[in-house]
Amino acid sequence: MSEKPLHRFEQPISVPGRRLLHGIPLGFVRKKAAGGGGRSLNQELPLIPFIDFLLCIVLFLLASFSATGEMPIDQNVKLPNAENVLDMVEAPMVAITGTQILVDGVPAGSTRAIEEANRLQRIDELFNILKNKRELWRQINPGKEFPGVAVLQVDRRVPALVVKSVFQTAAFAGYPNISFMVGRMGGEG
Amino acid sequence: MAGIDVGGGGHGGKRSVNMELPLIPFIDFLLCLVAFLLITAVWSQMARINADARVPGPPRPEEEIEQKEKDKQLHVEMRGERKFQLVWKEGSTVVNTIDVERKPVKVNEDVTYPDLGKKIAEEWKANGSHRAATAKKFDQAVLHTDNTTPFADVIAVIDAIYTPQREYTVPGSGKTEMVPAFNVTFAVN
Repeated sequence: MSEKPLHRFEQPISVPGRRLLHGIPLGFVRKKAAGGGGRSLNQELPLIPFIDFLLCIVLFLLASFSATGEMPIDQNVKLPNAENVLDMVEAPMVAITGTQILVDGVPAGSTRAIEEANRLQRIDELFNILKNKRELWRQINPGKEFPGVAVLQVDRRVPALVVKSVFQTAAFAGYPNISFMVGRMGGEG
Repeated sequence: MAGIDVGGGGHGGKRSVNMELPLIPFIDFLLCLVAFLLITAVWSQMARINADARVPGPPRPEEEIEQKEKDKQLHVEMRGERKFQLVWKEGSTVVNTIDVERKPVKVNEDVTYPDLGKKIAEEWKANGSHRAATAKKFDQAVLHTDNTTPFADVIAVIDAIYTPQREYTVPGSGKTEMVPAFNVTFAVN
């Protein structure tokens, strides 16, 4: 026999192969009985590494999951950005917009009133709310030292007089450690 | 699909002990979990900048005020429109005064003062009292502003004060990390 395979139209005699059981008329029976040496079309998918991969993603996302969500920012507050910053902490949030002062979303004074008075002053409403929050914290955490931390969300255009008044009021209410909320320089402000 | 094959089984009318594990619903569940966690993930850009309050009368009467007074402090005055003034004070005694030209650099909507940051870093290297990594205390900077200064400018100056960094050995763990060299106090009066 020639080593070179021959084209079937040029060669009247075909290459000998298996003949046994090839005469069965039913196709699927013939296939089963005669075999044929064809590769099985069934494939095993490697599911275990895929599940391991998914589990790793789930664990990572669960670890970085925050149930409280994004820190709420008042719509009227446009924060400045800074470079040398720290990560956020959980603390009472005092928002200072162009018109009003809010503690965790509750109105606690007017910015306009301070600007019109044009002098440093204690904001009584803010003082009472912060003092109540401090008392509540002490009742919930008896025997622990009160951290005295509050976060100020201040609009970038608010004058320093208003910030000083809020700062002073917070210090008198037992919150001398103030953090200013800012955006990270280079990130979205 | 994965299965458990313990070999044999199914002979003599006994039930087969081979089991098929339904992995597809498990993968579906994991994919749903991944999708949910990705959608609800919080990629926060918010950060904070620290500042203590200096108000008339101590906010914490139990703290010793006298001890603090003796340390050398850097006072940053931003009252004029043309320059900043850096004043080193020991108690009420003025040790040194340096003028720094006010050169604001615009970064999108924000303002930064890189020259002020550089000068403060130089001053700290020359005059800072707590430069060793083992020092538990930090040098103190006090920021003075006038009442009309916009808050964005106040943040830009606090950011500049936090420019110099020092090594700090965390008590207990012995780890060394880079932290801002100054603690900033916002002078309210």
